Parts: sequence; C-alpha cells; structure tokens
Amino acid sequence: MGAAAWCCKVVSARGWLNVTAQAWRIRVLTMLEYKANFFMWFAFTIAYHGVAIAALGVTLYNFPSLAGWNFREIAFLYALWMLGHSTHNLFFFSVGDVPTYVQEGTFDRFLVRPRDVLFQVVTVPNQQWPDELALAAVWFIFATWYAHVAVDWIFLAAVPLIVLGGVLIDLSISLLVAAVSFWFVRVDTLRWVVMSLEQEFTRYPVSIYTRGVRILMAYVLPYAFMNYFPAVYFLHKSDHGLTIVPWLGLLAPVVGALWFTAAYAFWRAGLNRYQGTGS
Amino acid sequence: MIFARVLAPYAQFASKAFQREATYRVEVFSEIGSLVLRVYLIRALWTALYAHNPAPPNLPLHAIITYSTVALLLSLIFEVDGTRQLREKIRLGTIATDLLKPVSLPGSLFSDGVGMTLLHALTVIPSLLFALLLVHVDHPATAAAGVAFLAAFALGYGVNFLLNFCMNCVAFWTLETFALQLVVRWLSDLLSGAVIPLSFFPGLFQSALLHLPFAAVYSTPLLIYLGILRGDRIPQALLEQAAWLLVFAAIAALAWSRGRRRVVLQGG
Repeated sequence: MGAAAWCCKVVSARGWLNVTAQAWRIRVLTMLEYKANFFMWFAFTIAYHGVAIAALGVTLYNFPSLAGWNFREIAFLYALWMLGHSTHNLFFFSVGDVPTYVQEGTFDRFLVRPRDVLFQVVTVPNQQWPDELALAAVWFIFATWYAHVAVDWIFLAAVPLIVLGGVLIDLSISLLVAAVSFWFVRVDTLRWVVMSLEQEFTRYPVSIYTRGVRILMAYVLPYAFMNYFPAVYFLHKSDHGLTIVPWLGLLAPVVGALWFTAAYAFWRAGLNRYQGTGS
Repeated sequence: MIFARVLAPYAQFASKAFQREATYRVEVFSEIGSLVLRVYLIRALWTALYAHNPAPPNLPLHAIITYSTVALLLSLIFEVDGTRQLREKIRLGTIATDLLKPVSLPGSLFSDGVGMTLLHALTVIPSLLFALLLVHVDHPATAAAGVAFLAAFALGYGVNFLLNFCMNCVAFWTLETFALQLVVRWLSDLLSGAVIPLSFFPGLFQSALLHLPFAAVYSTPLLIYLGILRGDRIPQALLEQAAWLLVFAAIAALAWSRGRRRVVLQGG
C-alpha cells in the first residue's frame, strides 16, 4: 500500500469516527432535551423485562423444574440474552428498521450519500439510550450471584466475548432480514417469526423444543449461542443431543463472526440487486 | 326510527374500519404466522413443565393448553385498540375538527374499534384451525358455560375498550402517552391472566388480582370457558365484570369531559 493510499485510509477512518461522535452527540442532546420521555421509556424497559421475569418466576414457583432448570438458572439464561440483546439494540437497533425504509421508499437516500450504507443506517438518529444495557448489567450481576455461577478468570474473560458474539448474532440476523427485503419488499411475516424466536424462544432452555426447532435455534438462526449454550457451560448443565462438547457455548464469538461475515456478504449482494419500490 | 337514524353513521364508521383493515392482508398473514409460533411455544413449554412436576389441582395439561391457546385467540381481539387514534388526534390538534362534527367522538372511536375487531375476529377462525394442528383445544365445559363465556367476553371487551380509552385520554394532559400505554399493556397482560392463569400467583396476591379490573378482561371469561368458575359463581363473576364496566365508564366520561374542556381552553 502506498503512502498516499495509507494516508487516505487514516483520513477516512477519522471521518467515520467524526460522524459516529456527531451521531452520539445528537443522541445525548436529544435525551437531555426530552427528559420526561427518557424516564417514560426507562419505565417501559423496566416493565418489559420485569413482566417477562415475573412471568417466569410465577411459572417456576408452581413448577420448580423446567427440563431440569430451576428459576435461578432461568434467571441467568435471561440475563445472558438481555446483555447481548441490549448491547445490540444500543448500537445497531436501526438495522431492524431497514425493511420499513425499503417499503416507504426512504431507503434510497442512503444510496446517494458518500458513506457506507450500513454505516449510515447504524448512525440514523434514534432514541436508543444505554438504559436497557445498564438494567441488563445490573440484572446480570444479580443473576450470576443468584444462580451461584463460579466467577473465575474464564468467566470474566468469556462473558465480554459471549456478549460480543451475541451482538454479532443479533446483528447478522437483522441484516439478513434487511437484505431479504431488497428482494421481497414485504417481509413482515419473516420479521415476526425472527422476533418471536429471538425474544420469546430464548427465554426457555432450547432442550424443551422439538428436534427441528432445536436445530434451527442452534445452527440456522443461532440464537442458542447468545444464551443457551453459554449458560449450559457456566451452570454445568447436561444437554442431550445438541451440545457436542461442554464448552460449545464459548464459541459464541466465532459463530457470531461467521454469521456476520455471511450476512454482510448477503447484504452487499442485496444492495447491488436493490432497485427501490419506485414510490 | 330516530334511534336507527342516530346509529346509522356509527354503523358506517364500523364498516369503513373493517374495509380499511382488510386492505392490509399481509399483516393479517403475519399475525396468523406469529400466532402459530406462540401456540407451538405454549405446547413445548407446558408439556415440558408437566413432564417433570406434579400437576396443580384442577388444571391438567390439556386444560392449561386450552387456557393459553384461547387466551391467545382472545388477544387477537383485545389487542385491537380503536381509541389509539384519539392520542394522534390530540397530538396533531385535528381533534378540534372532530369535536365540531355532529357525532360523538367516543362513539365513533368505539364503532371504529368494533369494525377493526370484526376483521380480526375473522382471523381467529383460521388461527384456531392452525392451532388445532399443533394442540388439542377443549370445547367449553357445558353449553351453558359456552353462553356465559360469550357474555363474559362481551363484558371484558367493554372493560378493555374503556381502559384503552382512559389511557388515550391521558394525552389531553401529557400529549405523549405511547410508552405509558405500553407499560400498562405489559403489566395488564401479566395481571389479567393473559399469559399465565391467576391461580398460579401466590396466596394473597392471587385473591387481590382476581378482583382487580384486569381479571375482568381475560381471566373471568377463560375460567368460565374451562368450567373452573361454574354454577352460581358465574352470575357473581359477570356482575363483578359489569361493576368494573360501570366504574370505568364513569372514569372515562369524567376524563373525556375534563380533557375536552382542556382542548377548548388551549384553543385547539
């Protein structure tokens, strides 16, 4: 690489950083401007996760064992998912809006601007604040203690990597759905299916599902790597059939990276194919 | 005659809402699609729970699956919020022109909601057929229970409408109510027995929940359907629902008249 090209790379990287910083500045300013709104959405976040956890608690109060998992373990399962999912939401929430942009015809504006399309999508001003992530961190610390998870150096090193893996898995699948919308404008059903699998099916141990769904959750839309497989490892649970090795869950970042690479390639292919709705 | 003439525009509102909703066929399909997934989840979850734990009294596996599936079908109807437009009208200020019209706005919102509900009620049938591929759903315990279920459902529909209406009236004061409404929605889903039967909640909490207005929406019709509420406890339960209907009608009327005055004071 010549000196000039290298220089360009640095300038462009600085440009990216600048835009990202600006986008975050706008986000923080918006938050400060609409304080009441911030607190209302924070209450919403607490209510959403509170209701989900309370429902699990009441259910397991009556039925102490769900396929061999007790409430403490289910709380940890939920916490792992929450951590990955809320980190994804904080940085990449707007990727999920791409099908809406495509339907409304507002996606085209990204194509005529001089920055990478995905980068522009990610920096669309939105109202994603770190409140959910903060809540997730608090719940995760509590659940780790509550479920008697051994906090050793493997745990401390693995958790950030598993969260990273979870973010990449979440992102890859939103990216796949977004790319599908370049071909088929209406993808509501697919979005529903994916959202339901991600938000509701991850609340329970994957072992309660039938074989087809287990394989789907593990190796097609690998949400099981966000929380189930890592939890199996940390809680020393046994799993019949799916877990090839006990430390399978530690591969979450690898699975995330692989799926993201594939999803990004598919997204690029979709972008080349994109013609707009003409509206 | 006069009665029919007064009601005619509202029938039109309902019919318009029905047609408007029917144009979004794709959304109807995704609604059915997501319902099938949830029915699958109900089956997987309860089957796993009943496999490893003793069954609670009065609630064998087929009863809990019936309960959850019927609750899911009811949610197709109860989650239609015809009064959501009220919030938008207040925010955008277009409510001023609505108030000039010679029809009652709450009445038109109600009939709009009924029209939307009728379309969604149609999706209950294919949804039920798909659900039946995955789970077995019991029919109502007796014919009388079936009739009482329909009455309890109608009362629940009324309570749900008024609850939504009151929530949207909050917009008269705060303009933005969306997050608040979602909070109430999530909480009421849990506290109304839409997600899990209220009998699963521990002792005192349970008796309190059974007498809160949320129970009037989901729990009462469902318990009648299953035959858990039966005999002379049915009229008592229906009366309680009717009482909540009246209480919320009074609150809604108060909120409406106060809120309406606020709009006039703001100058629209």
